[in-house]
Amino acid sequence: MMDISDLIKSISLFKPETTLIVTFMLAMILDMAFKKSKNIAGYIAIAGLVIAGIFLFQQTGVNYKAFANLLVIDSFGQFMKFIVLMSSLIIIVFSFFSNELHNAHTKLGEYYTLIIGMTFGMFLLVGSANLIMIYVAIETMSISSYVLAGYTREVKRASEASLKYVIFGAVSSGIMIYGISILFGLTGSLNLFEINQFLSVNNVATLPLLLSGLMILSGFGYKISAVPFHFWTPDVYEGAPVTITAYLSVASKAAGFAVLLRFFKTGLLDSVPGTSEAWQLLGNIDWHYVIAVLAVLTMTLGNLVAVWQTNMKRLLAYSSIAHAGYLLMAVSVMNDNGVSAVLIYFVFYMLMNLGAFFVVQLIANKLDSENIDEYNGLGYRSPVLAVCMTVFLISLAGLPPTSGFIGKLYVFSSVINSGYIWLAIIGVLNSVVSLYYYAKIIRNMYLRDVESAKTKLVFSPVTIAIVLMLAIPSLLFGVYFTPIVEWANYSMNIFVGN
Amino acid sequence: MTQDVVLPLSILTLLIPLLSFLINIFFGKKLGKISGVIGTSILGIDLGLAIIVAFTKLTSYAGIQVIQNRIEWFDLGSLQVNIGIGIDNIAAIMLIVVTLISFLVHLFSTVYMGDDRQYSKFFAYLGLFTFSMLGIVIANNFLIMYIFWELVGISSYLLIGFWYEKDSASNAGKKAFITNRIGDLGFFIGIMILFFTYGSFMFEDVFAGISSGVMPFDNPTMLTIAGICIFMGAIGKSAQFPLHVWLPDAMEGPTPVSALIHAATMVAAGVYLVAKVFAMFTADALTFIAVIGTITAFISATIALTQVDFKKVLAYSTVSQLGFMIMSLGVGGYTNGFFHLVTHAWFKAALFLAAGSVIHAMHQAMHHMHDHHTDPQDINNMGGLRKTMPWTYRTFLFVTLALSGIPLTSGFLSKDGILAGTLAYANLTGGWHWIIPVLGFTAAGMTAFYMFRLTIVAFHGEPKTEIAKHTKENKLPIVLPLVVLAFMSLWIFYSPNPIDASKGWFHKMIVQPKSAVPDAYQWSFLINNKTEEAAPAVHQAEGATHTAEITAENPHEVTKAGHTTGHYLNKFQEETHHFHYIAMILSLLIAGSGILLAFLIYQYKTISADKLEARFKFLHTFSYNKWYFDELYQATAINGLLVISKALSWFDNYVVDGLVNLSSYVTRGFGYIVGLFDNYVIDGAVNLVANFTGYCGNKMRKLQTGHIQSYVVFVLLGILILLYFFI
Amino acid sequence: MEIGLTHYLVISAILFSLGLYGIITRKHAIMVLMGLELVLNAANINFIAFARYGGMNIEGHIAAIFVIILAAAEAAIALAIVLNIYQNFRHVNIDEVDDLKG
Repeated sequence: MMDISDLIKSISLFKPETTLIVTFMLAMILDMAFKKSKNIAGYIAIAGLVIAGIFLFQQTGVNYKAFANLLVIDSFGQFMKFIVLMSSLIIIVFSFFSNELHNAHTKLGEYYTLIIGMTFGMFLLVGSANLIMIYVAIETMSISSYVLAGYTREVKRASEASLKYVIFGAVSSGIMIYGISILFGLTGSLNLFEINQFLSVNNVATLPLLLSGLMILSGFGYKISAVPFHFWTPDVYEGAPVTITAYLSVASKAAGFAVLLRFFKTGLLDSVPGTSEAWQLLGNIDWHYVIAVLAVLTMTLGNLVAVWQTNMKRLLAYSSIAHAGYLLMAVSVMNDNGVSAVLIYFVFYMLMNLGAFFVVQLIANKLDSENIDEYNGLGYRSPVLAVCMTVFLISLAGLPPTSGFIGKLYVFSSVINSGYIWLAIIGVLNSVVSLYYYAKIIRNMYLRDVESAKTKLVFSPVTIAIVLMLAIPSLLFGVYFTPIVEWANYSMNIFVGN
Repeated sequence: MTQDVVLPLSILTLLIPLLSFLINIFFGKKLGKISGVIGTSILGIDLGLAIIVAFTKLTSYAGIQVIQNRIEWFDLGSLQVNIGIGIDNIAAIMLIVVTLISFLVHLFSTVYMGDDRQYSKFFAYLGLFTFSMLGIVIANNFLIMYIFWELVGISSYLLIGFWYEKDSASNAGKKAFITNRIGDLGFFIGIMILFFTYGSFMFEDVFAGISSGVMPFDNPTMLTIAGICIFMGAIGKSAQFPLHVWLPDAMEGPTPVSALIHAATMVAAGVYLVAKVFAMFTADALTFIAVIGTITAFISATIALTQVDFKKVLAYSTVSQLGFMIMSLGVGGYTNGFFHLVTHAWFKAALFLAAGSVIHAMHQAMHHMHDHHTDPQDINNMGGLRKTMPWTYRTFLFVTLALSGIPLTSGFLSKDGILAGTLAYANLTGGWHWIIPVLGFTAAGMTAFYMFRLTIVAFHGEPKTEIAKHTKENKLPIVLPLVVLAFMSLWIFYSPNPIDASKGWFHKMIVQPKSAVPDAYQWSFLINNKTEEAAPAVHQAEGATHTAEITAENPHEVTKAGHTTGHYLNKFQEETHHFHYIAMILSLLIAGSGILLAFLIYQYKTISADKLEARFKFLHTFSYNKWYFDELYQATAINGLLVISKALSWFDNYVVDGLVNLSSYVTRGFGYIVGLFDNYVIDGAVNLVANFTGYCGNKMRKLQTGHIQSYVVFVLLGILILLYFFI
Repeated sequence: MEIGLTHYLVISAILFSLGLYGIITRKHAIMVLMGLELVLNAANINFIAFARYGGMNIEGHIAAIFVIILAAAEAAIALAIVLNIYQNFRHVNIDEVDDLKG
C-alpha cells in the first residue's frame, strides 16, 4: 500500500530519471524540428545528462525505498548511476568525432536519443528492487542497444551484430523471465525484500530455487558478459560502431553488476553482518562457489582467446570479458569489501577502457582499419596518442603506477582477505596471460615499422585533449587514489531496508 | 586573507616556475627570444605570490609556529606515509629570497645570455631550478625535502654544465653532482635512521618522538649520529669542508647561474636544512657543526687571498660565508645564522651579477677589438673600471662594504651577530672552544682584505689592458638587478637601529625553535626558559654541561615569538647580548685593518705585493693551489679506488683465471649436459606452458562459431552443467 | 480430473522447451522469433498460474501484462533488424549469417 506522502517523496527522488525522460523527448523533437543542425540532439543530450547529474548529486546520503518498494535510492545506487552517467557523457562526446557514424547517417538524432533511453534503462536497473522492474529495465536497456549496435545499417557486419545481439539477448531475457516466474511461484512475491522475508521464514526446495537462481543469473550474466553467457560479446563488439562498443563495455556492465550485487544482498541475505564478514545467504545453495566458478571460467576464457585476436575491437571485447571475470571474483566473496572493490575497479575501468576504445576510434577514423598491424610504428607517427594508448594498456594489464593496478589490488585483497587464495592465484595467472596481448600492441606501436616513411598522423587538438583527459587520471589515480577509495567505502552499503 | 589561503597560494608559487620550465623546454625553439620574456614574467608573478604568502604569514600569523597541512599518501596498514607542506617564518622569508633573486637573475639573463645558442633552454633550466628550490623551502617532511633536494642537484648539474661543449664545464657539472651525492648519501642514511625510529617523515612527528625520549636504537649517541648524517647533506649542498671542492669549479657555468645557485639559493639549502631541523640536534652534533663551519670559513678565506680569477675569489668568499652561517648555527646563534643567510643572499648575488656585468663588458670590448685570447675574468687584465662602468662600480662597492661588515649595511648586523654569538659560545663552554671565535674573527678580517683587494685591482687605478679601457656600462636589465640587490643590503630593512638588530622585526620573527632533544643531551644554555622565570634562575647552568643535573625548570613551555617579556629566550641569547659591543668593536677593528692593508698594498702600493708574495712563497703557493684539496682527493680517494681496482684486476687475471681455466674443462663437460637440460627440459617446459596456453586459447576460439543458435545451445548447456554441479 | 497448478506448470514447461527447440533449430529468422515468443508466453502462463493458485496474488497478473508488452516491443525491434539483415544479405537464414566468428 502506498500513500500520498510516499508517492510525493518518491517522485522527488526520481528527478534524475525524470530529467532523462524529458531530455529523451526534447532531443527527439528538436532533432526533427531543426533539420539543418547535425548534432543538436547531442548537445541536448549532454545538457540533460549534466542536469540529471546535478539532481543525482543532491541525493547523497538518501536511503529510501521509493514507489512502494519498486526502486531503492541509496548511495550504492548513486555511485553506479554516476558511473553510468559519466560513461554516457563521454560516449556522446566520442560520438561527435566518429567518422563511421557520420558517414552512415546524415542525422544522428535518434542515436543520441537512444543513448539517453539506454541511460534511463540503466538508471532504473541500478535501483530496482522488484523482479519485474529488473526485467523492464533490462529490456529498456537491451532494446535501445540492439538498435544502437546496428545503427550503421548499411554496414554488413553491423547488421549481423545487431541480429546476433537481439536473438541472444531476447533468449537470455526469456530464460530470465521464466526463472523469475518460478521464483515468484516459490515465494509468492516479486519484491526482493519480501522474497527475503519469505525465504528467511520458510524452507523452500533446493532444486527449483537453484534452477530459478541460475536462470535469473543467466540474464544478469548476459549483461555482464560472464561465461557461458558471453557469446554475443565478441561478435557484437566487433560489428557495432566503436562508440557503442565502448559504451556497452562499461556502462551496461556497470548496471549489470549493480543489479547482480543488489539481487544477492537484498534478496538472499540472511542477516546484517559486519563489513568484512561474508553475507550469510538463505537457502542451502553455496552461491559463493557458483559465482567463483563463473569468475574462473570468465577470466580464463577471456584471456586465453584474446591472445589470438587480430582485430582491436574483438581483442578489447575479450579483454572486457576477462575484466568481468576479475570483477566476478570480487563479487564471489560476498561481503562489503568485495562490493567496495567492485566500485573502485569500475571507476578506473571506465577511464582506461573508454580511453583505449577512443584511441581505436581515432585510428579507425584515419586509417580505416581496426587491425592490430595498423598500429605498427604508431609511436612515431603520433607520439602523444601512442603514449596515452600505452598508459591505457598498462592500466588494463594492471601494472603500477597506473590506476588499473590499484583496482586489481583492491579486488585481489578482498579475495585474499576472505580466504579464497586459490581464486586469487588463478586471477594472478590470468593477469600474466593478459599482459601478452596488451604488450603485443605496445610492441607494435614502438618496435615495428620504425623506419618506414609513413606519414605523421595529425589529430585535432580537441581529440588529443579528450584522450589526455582520460589518460592523465589513469596515471594520477595510480598514485593518489584515496578519494575514490573513500567514496567507494561510503557507498558500499547496499540498503536492505532496515 | 585567511589562514586557509596561505597553503594553496604557496603550492601555486611552487608550481608556476615549473610551468616556465615546461613552456621553454617544449616550445623554446619556436619562441626564440620571447622565452626570456616569458620566463622573467612568470617569475615576476611568482615573486608577487611569494610576497603575498610571506606577508600574510609574517604579519597576520607570526604567532603561529607553522601553517601546515598533511595528507596521507598511502596507508598499507602497518606502514603509513604522510606528506605535506608547511610555511613557518623562515620558509616565508626564504620564499621571497628565492623568488626575488630568481626574478632578478632572469631579468639579467635576458641580456647576458642574449647571444647564446641555447637561450630558451637556459630559461627552462632556471625555471626548473626555482621550482626545485621552492619545493625544499615549503616541505615540512623529510621525504618531500629529499625529493626536491635531488631535483635541485640535477638542476644545478644541468646549469653548471650548460656550455657542455667545453670539457671543463661538463667536468665541473659532474664534479658538483658526484660531490653532492656523497653528502646526499649521509642525508639519506640520517633520514632512514629517523624514519626507522620514529615511524614518520614529518618534522613535527620526529620532534615529538625525540622529546618523548625515544632514541634511535635506544642509544642517545645514535641521535647525534643521525644529526650528523643529516648534516652531511648540508655539507654537500653548502660546500662545507671537506666537500667544498665542487663550488669553485662550478664557476664554469654562466655567471647568472653562479649568482642564483651558488650565491643565494642552492648553497643556502644546506643552511636552511640545518635551521629547519635545528630542534633535533644534540649538543655534540651542534659542536660538530660549529667546527666544520669554522674550518670551512677559515680555509676558504685563506684561499681567496691569492686567487686572480674574478669569479673564483667570489666563489671562495661564498664558501667562507657559508662556513660562517653554519658556524653560527652550530654555536646556537640560530637567528643570526639565518639572518646572515638572507643578507648574504642579497649581496653575494649582487657581487656575482656585478662580476657578470664586468665579464660581459670585457667580452663586448674584446669582440669590439677582435681579441679572442685575453682572459676576461682575470683581474690583472682589468683596472680603471670605476670610470668606465660607474653603476657597476658603485653597487659593487656598496655590497663589498656589506660583505666586509661595515656599519649601515645589513651585512654588518648579521656578521656582528654571528661573531658575538661565537664569543658567547666560547665563554659558556670554555677550553678549546675559544678557537672558534679566533678563527671566525680572522676569517672576517681576511674577508675584508680580499674583497677590497678585488675591488681595488679590478676597479681602481688605471686600466691594465686595452680591453679594460674600452669597456662600457651595460644596459638596464643588467644594471637594475644590481641596484635592487644593493638596495636590499641596507640596514633599514631589517632593523631601525643600524647597530643592534635584536630589536628589529627580523629578530622578532625568527626565533630559535624549542629544542626537542631531552635536556640531558642538550646545551643548557640553549634550553628556552619559561617567560615568568626570572633571569637569575638561569645562571645556574654555566659552563659546558652534558650532565643530567639540570634544574627544575620546565623547558616544555614554548615562548611565543616576540614575547620574551624583557628576559631573554635562553642563556645563550643573554650572553650574546653581553658580547655584542665587544664583538662589534673587535670586528670593526679587524675589518678596518684588513681594508687598510688592502689599500696599502694595492692602491697606494706602499707595501709591495710581489715582495710579500716572495716572503711568504710557501703560504702563497699553498693558498693559490687551494690547499691542494683537489690533488689530495685525486691522490687518495680517486687514485686509491683506481689502485684497488687495478689490484683486483691483476688478482682476477692471474690467480682467479688460473683456477678457472683448470676447472673449465670439467665445467664445460658438465655445462654441455646442463645445456642440453636447459634447452630441452626447461625451455621445453616454458614453451610447453606457452604452447598449451595458446592451444587452449585456440580451441576455445572454436566455440565462437559465428552461429547464433550454437551460442544459445551453449548457454543452455552451461545452465544445465551448473545445475548438475551445485544441486 | 481436477485441473490444478501442476498441469499449468507442465504446459508452460513444454512450451518453454518447444520454444527453445524452435530457436535452436530453425533456419529462418522469423521462425526463431516465433520460438522466442513461445518462451515468453511460457513464462506468462507460469505467472498467471501462480497468481491464480497461490492466493489470488495480483502481482502475477501485472507481471504477465508487462511481459506481453515487452515481448511486443522486442518483437518489433527484432523484425526491423531482420528486415535490415535481408537488405544486407539478401536472405534470412540465420546459420549463413556468420561473418563474425573466432
